[in-house]
Amino acid sequence: MNYLNVEASQHEMRLIQMGAKVEQINSKMCYIKFVIDGVPVEYVYNLNKKNKYFLERIKPYPLAVKTYENVADLVEVINIDIKQFKNVVKSKNIESFLTINKELISTIKKFEDLFLYYNIPLEEVELLRNKISEIQQEIVKTKETAERVFFDKDPENLK
Amino acid sequence: MLQNPIFIALIIFILTYTAIISEKINRTVIALFGAVLMIIFQVLPQKRAFAIIDFNTIGLLIGMMIIVIILKKTGIFQYIAIKTAKASKGDPWKILLMFSIIAAIASALLDNVTTILLIAPVTLVITDTLKLNPFPFLFAEIFAANIGGTATLIGDPPNIMIGGATGLGFLDFVYNLAPVAIVVFIVTMVIMKFIFRKQFKVTEEDKKKMLEFDEHKTIQDKKLLIQSVIVLGITILGFILHQAFELESATVALFGAVLLLLTSKADPDEILMEIEWSTIFFFVGLFILVGALEEVGIIKVLAEKLITLTQGSMLVTSMLILWMSAIASAFVDNIPFVATMIPLIQNMQAISGVDVTPLWWSLALGACLGGNGTIVGASANVIAAGMLEKRGSKIGFVQYLKLAFPLMLVSIIISTIYLIVFYV
Repeated sequence: MNYLNVEASQHEMRLIQMGAKVEQINSKMCYIKFVIDGVPVEYVYNLNKKNKYFLERIKPYPLAVKTYENVADLVEVINIDIKQFKNVVKSKNIESFLTINKELISTIKKFEDLFLYYNIPLEEVELLRNKISEIQQEIVKTKETAERVFFDKDPENLK
Repeated sequence: MLQNPIFIALIIFILTYTAIISEKINRTVIALFGAVLMIIFQVLPQKRAFAIIDFNTIGLLIGMMIIVIILKKTGIFQYIAIKTAKASKGDPWKILLMFSIIAAIASALLDNVTTILLIAPVTLVITDTLKLNPFPFLFAEIFAANIGGTATLIGDPPNIMIGGATGLGFLDFVYNLAPVAIVVFIVTMVIMKFIFRKQFKVTEEDKKKMLEFDEHKTIQDKKLLIQSVIVLGITILGFILHQAFELESATVALFGAVLLLLTSKADPDEILMEIEWSTIFFFVGLFILVGALEEVGIIKVLAEKLITLTQGSMLVTSMLILWMSAIASAFVDNIPFVATMIPLIQNMQAISGVDVTPLWWSLALGACLGGNGTIVGASANVIAAGMLEKRGSKIGFVQYLKLAFPLMLVSIIISTIYLIVFYV
């Protein structure tokens, strides 16, 4: 605990000197691990008295899920997520699903580096935007023709 | 009561202390285990075991911990440290000296570990910025904290325990220990300047970076700062006056703590969570363990033996306690050592009828200053060494011993002269 306090104090001092307002909150960090048909599905969330629960899925691929204000919602989200993964692992497309997700995350990181490290010409920005739009349209189009397999909850991002 | 409680108490005590010294098992767990065994084996009944816990010491520790936890949230320590470093214009020796003075003063009012936990993070950020080896700074701060803590009733756990057991007040400690602590501090700093003289080289560019720190940014809640400083002031005033008002030191500390909790509107759950409960329960375990030895008469026998050994000479006894506590505290935790010595000295007074007050000062000086001798001598040393190790600059036991032990001996020689001249 002492070492943590010392580390936290050093970070706080450096960040304050950088112009930040730093608030340290005592909290519980919870790691949740499932193994579904050999595929590890893991989450991490933070319980604190500020009633903000930051849930993140860390395996099979990292994804910031949401900030919740009710701990019961948080468990329910994990419940739904696990049910969905149980469905997905039965699919013959599981490997492709995981690979595409990892590639999407890698694409986001490359995209961020591109904008943070380089000055991008406007026409290239437009080109990238169009490509992203194409992928999104393709996802929606596929949804229209594909068989729905999960009914416990409606999709939030495919409307 | 079992047939031979003396034998059972002695076995439990020796095994528990051996386990504490070995540091193989958590010290709090083993102290509580030993204490509970004393009750289970009927060395003393539970009611008596609970009654011998010194709640003045416990209350004082908890009260001061609460005040410090809230006070550190104000950023006042970062403010003072940055302001001082800037006033030193980036001169490493001046920074080391000023930070040591801050550590010594803070440690006289707070406990040593807290002082190191407050000053070390700022020191590490400053030394990183100046691209300096943090070891001389942390080393000097450890010494300063242990020396500063010697000067007051509330500065170091041994003094808190001595005060709790004897009724000696805040001013008694200041009058009798602060003068020698100041001399020890000055001599130690002079020697340190000589030891570390070749380690302080800083580029102008790094100095400029350090001078860009803005101390005003560290104060994030001015209202809390004002409240905390006022309450700390009231508490210190309370310590100065507590004997005049016939109040125990724990009452003063707990009043300050509760007043600050009330006025600051800090979340009590958050604050109470940060109290070092393992330290508090370690004390509880020790009080019961030592109380059990006293209950069965072992401490009285030891006191008689000590009086026989020293032939009742205050000079010999005082020197024996000073040097024995210094050497012991350099290698083992000074808290269990002092916990055992307190009833021993009390019994010596009861048997011989002599005023043993000088012996309390011998014990306090030996136990507090002795902790500087090795890397494991005091909790503050262990914490600072751990910080350095985490940053990849591990300090070995022998490496630390070579520097620290002679310095500690110097402080004990000064204490010896002080005690001989003024007390025996």
